[in-house]
Order: sequence, then structure tokens, then C-alpha cells
Amino acid sequence: MIVRRFFIAVTAATLVVGSCGGDPPPPPPAPPGPDMDSLRAYQDSVQATEEEARRLAAEEAARRAEEAARERARQAAERTLVQMVFFDYDMSEIRDDAASALRAKVDILRASPQVQLRIEGHADDRGSTEYNLALGNRRAVAVRDFLTGFGLSESRFSVVSFGEERPLESGSDESAWSRNRRGQFVITAGENAINPGN
Amino acid sequence: MNLPLGVVQSFGFRLTVTLCVSMGLLVSSGFAQERDSLPGVSLGLVYENQPQPALAIQPFTGRFGGADLVDDVEVIVGRDLRNSDRFEVMDSIPAGLVGDVVDYTLWDRLGAVWLITGQVEGAGEGYILILELHDVVYGQSVERGRFRIPDEADSDFRMAVHRASDELVRWATGDPGMAASRIAFTMTDNQGNKDIYVIDSDGENLDRITNYRDLTLSPTWSPDGNKVAFTSYKSELPRIYELDLRTGEENMLPEVRGGGDYITPTYHPDGTTLAFSVTGNARSGIFTYNVERNCCLVFLSGGRWYDLSPTYSPDGQWMAFNTNRFGDAVPQIMLMPSQGGDAETLSPYEYGGRGYFTAPDWSPVGDMVAFHGSISRGTYHILVASVSNDGRRLNQLTWEGNNEDPSWAPDGRHLAFVGERRWGFGLFVVDVATGRLRPLLAGRRVGLPDWSPALSTGR
Repeated sequence: MIVRRFFIAVTAATLVVGSCGGDPPPPPPAPPGPDMDSLRAYQDSVQATEEEARRLAAEEAARRAEEAARERARQAAERTLVQMVFFDYDMSEIRDDAASALRAKVDILRASPQVQLRIEGHADDRGSTEYNLALGNRRAVAVRDFLTGFGLSESRFSVVSFGEERPLESGSDESAWSRNRRGQFVITAGENAINPGN
Repeated sequence: MNLPLGVVQSFGFRLTVTLCVSMGLLVSSGFAQERDSLPGVSLGLVYENQPQPALAIQPFTGRFGGADLVDDVEVIVGRDLRNSDRFEVMDSIPAGLVGDVVDYTLWDRLGAVWLITGQVEGAGEGYILILELHDVVYGQSVERGRFRIPDEADSDFRMAVHRASDELVRWATGDPGMAASRIAFTMTDNQGNKDIYVIDSDGENLDRITNYRDLTLSPTWSPDGNKVAFTSYKSELPRIYELDLRTGEENMLPEVRGGGDYITPTYHPDGTTLAFSVTGNARSGIFTYNVERNCCLVFLSGGRWYDLSPTYSPDGQWMAFNTNRFGDAVPQIMLMPSQGGDAETLSPYEYGGRGYFTAPDWSPVGDMVAFHGSISRGTYHILVASVSNDGRRLNQLTWEGNNEDPSWAPDGRHLAFVGERRWGFGLFVVDVATGRLRPLLAGRRVGLPDWSPALSTGR
């Protein structure tokens, strides 16, 4: 910029001097034109860099999206694994709705051999405290036996009963009781190696 | 089944429970309906209706410094005798009306059959309580004894007086008392955690003995009263621990291979063995373990089903327990030899029928097993089954609210249990002979009481 201003100033001075007579000075040399080749090369390289960056970003985004999808699938699988199952009053038989919830766990467990589960059996607060410990255990074992029935190793499961001691709902009506008669799941190993399976 | 009744008789077990055979004698009109759910069982109880002998307490006197605590001692003794449910304890009479001398004519006129006189003497360290039982009708002293009691500040003070009260009961009736005993139970905090507490038989000295703020359940006293075993989840999984109340030392029972839940411990009457249940193991059922020699895990009964809540007969030959072998919805009480063997049903189960019976406790002096059961669906009451040779009988002891987890007092006559009423939960005591009910600790979320044996020394 400074250079150009100087150039303009010089030109102006020449014109002023020129008007005073004498031989016209030789025309000033044309300002050097841009070197089109190197400019093109330069522009090409910028473009290439930008394209590369865009490509990398897209790749990264795709990778991230894939990772996010994998994580979402892993989380969904984890939710499936810990989804509770419920039981009928004074019963330890696996209900139909519980069976489909457990069946969904089987596929994930097959695809995720490192995952281990603790199955916790619970009872509602009716009946006797000690017997409910036994009933909760029966429920946990019924869940484990359902899962091992699909060929999963028993060593991947531990069972524990909490009887009526850890209710999900505090009410004293059937809606609370039916939520409290349940099998609950805790992932005790391989949480990061959950494979959603196919 | 041959039950060792000699043991029962040698204890002088004289429970006069008259059983109701005719339904017409029953008071409750709704009862006939409820009875339908238990066919073939005579349910109900006509309590002994002869009046209890009237017992008077002449105001105790004190000497040599004993006067300071004589009033407290008299109050404790009077309450113990009331709680024994074996006397009509007369209202106290102002000391001014009676002298130090026993005036049998006066007490006879007032209607007393028995009279207690007492004296507290300072004796260097502590005191001597001199008690005397008089037969007012015959106008003579029956029995007299001296009992050492410590200073009132001593933690054994009340228990020492209770032991003297129990001797009074024995002098008058020939049967053991139960004042010198405690009841262990669980109490639930605001977080839903349970710890073990103990309380004296008269409702005093509520004391916490575990502080894990986790799930700690099913306390059971050792026969010498020095230890309490229980199940606790404090190490995440339910395991059985033995706590020495004198030293605070605690031991965990070893685990069987294959894991499982360790629940419902109980001591053999000789104190060497704990019986308990393991559930969720390849071998689930009742095991015993010798806690004295720290060895010898023995599998007694169980299998695909679960046997739990074992309780020994006083001679250690038999065991009653809870089982789900007839189905999850119909837990029953069974009996078997304590070394294992064929079991037979004690609760009134008929194949394919209904009925929910759990939480057995064998009387420490007799041929009775208490448990609770569902008479009409969803309502639980305390039941006592007689297991004597002259036939099985089942008696219902509670009629109001829900009532669970009975435990026998050392006198084999009282039961502690958890009652649920409209106002909340509480520990109750019922006298099997008279049906008299008294609340022991009301308004707390209590559970699984276990009554101690007679405590010979305080802790």
C-alpha cells in the first residue's frame, strides 16, 4: 500500500514536471504483472489443502457419527441388559413379558462374552421378611436359569436376593407391589465390552 | 413321630391351654368364615378362665443405705410380676398403712393370696435384696432369698432385679419366669437400612448392637446369651456373622463353594452349632456349622426347593423349618430329625390347597411351635401348634391387624412378635395361657424379634 502510494506520488510529480516542457520522459516501465503461474499454483495448493481438510473433517465426522452410533447402540444394549423383569404375586415363574425382555438380553450376552451380570431378586412387602428373602432368591435363580437355558454359561451370573428390603415403589397397593416384585440387573464385568450383536 | 416329652415334663411345663372343639364357643362371629380356609383344623383358644391368684407387695424397706433405691427396686419387681401374667398384682398400699411386720389378717381381708415383702440393704459394694414370699391363706412364709444387686448406675442393675423377680415366680408357680431376658430385633432407619437392637423384657434399655447402616437381619441369641448371630449385607452379599456381646468380636461364617445367600441362622440348644439356610447355591437348603470348633459344614435338607428358618426343639433332637417345596405361594412348616431325614408337615396344608405359614420358633421348654400364617388371604396371625404325642392342635393367638415372626420367651409361655396396626408397627408380647397382650415398643418399624434365653449375668 505504501509502495503504491509512493508510486502514485511519483507519477503525479512527473506529470507536473512534464507540463513544464522539455522532452517527454520515456514511459515508465509497466508495473510488473502478477505471475499467473505461481498464483495458480498457490491457489491450487490452498484449494488442495482446504479440500483435504474438508475430506478429513468429513471423515472425522463420519467416524464420530459411527462412534456415536456405536455408543448409542452400546447404551441401548446396556439398557436392555439391565431392564428389569417383573413377577406375579408369590410366584417365581418367568412371565411372558419377562421372557421377551430376557430373550433380548440373550443376544447381547452372546455377542459380549466378557459381560457378567448380577441378578437381584426382590419381593413386595407382603408376607414374611425371611420367606421373602427366599422368594427373591427363587426369582433371581429363575431368571438365571432362563438365561443359561439359552446356552449362556452359569459362571457369568451371580444371584442375590434382597427380599422385601429394597422396594422400587413405597406404596401399599397393587401398582407399587407389582413394581416391587422384580428381577434387577447389575453389570459386574465387561461394561465397556458390551457388543449389541446383530 | 416320637417327641421327647420327658424333657417337657421335667421342666414342669404346665401350660393350661384348653382347646376349642365346638365352634359355638368362639367369640368372633367372622371366625366361622375364616375357618373355612383351613379345613380339618381346630382353630381357636379358650384361655384359662380360673382367676389368677391375687398377689400383694408390701412396700419394700431399706437399711444401711438401701433406702435410696428401694422404691426403684419395688417398681421393677412389681412390673415383672405383672408381666409374668401369673398373678393379679394388687395396687400398692401406702407404707404408712402397713408396718414392717407382716399382718396376714390384713392382707387376707384385702383379698391377697400371695404376699411379697422385700428389703434392700447396703452391702459395701452394691446391695443385698432380701425377698420373701408369703402364703397369706396359710399365714406363713413360703420362701426367702437374698440377691446381690449392684449400684443403680451399673448396667446390670435392672437385670439383677429381674433375676430376683424370676425367682419369685419360680417360688410361687414352680415355673421359670422371663423377666431377666432381652429381645433382639431389627429396626429400620429412614434410608430403609436395618440394624440390630435389643430391649429388656420390660421395655427398658433400648440399645443398638450393630451399626452398619446396611441390611442386617434375623438376629438369634446363643443359648448362653453371650452372642447374637445374624445375617448382614454389610460386605455386599448376605452372610452370617456371630457377634460376641461381651467383647464386640465378630466372626463371619465361611462360605460354601458356589456362593448363595446365607440367611436365617439359629443356635442348637448346646450352643456349639449354628443351623442356617443357603439359597441360590447348587445345593440350597439348611446347613449346620460347628462354631465352637470352626468346622464341619453339614448339609441337612433342601434341593430344588428351599428350606429355611430352622428352629431346634429344646433337646436338640428335632428341627422345625419353613419350606417352599409345595410351591412358592404356599410356604409350610415342617418337622424333621435335627440330623436330617424324613420331614413331615406341621402346618395345616392340604395338597393343592392354599395357606401361607412361615417363621417357626420352637418353644424352649415345651412341645409347641409358634409361627405365623395367613388365615384369610393377606392377613397374618400368630399361631401355635402343639407337637405332643396326643395329637396336633393349632391355636390362633392374635385377631387384630397383621402379626408376624413370633419368638418364645424363656418361660415357654410368652411370645414376642411384630404387630401391624392402623397406627403403625410395634413389638408386642402375648401370654399364650391368658391371651393377654402388651405392647413392648410401639410406633417403630421393627422386625424379626428373637427372645433371649434367661440371662444369668448382665453384659
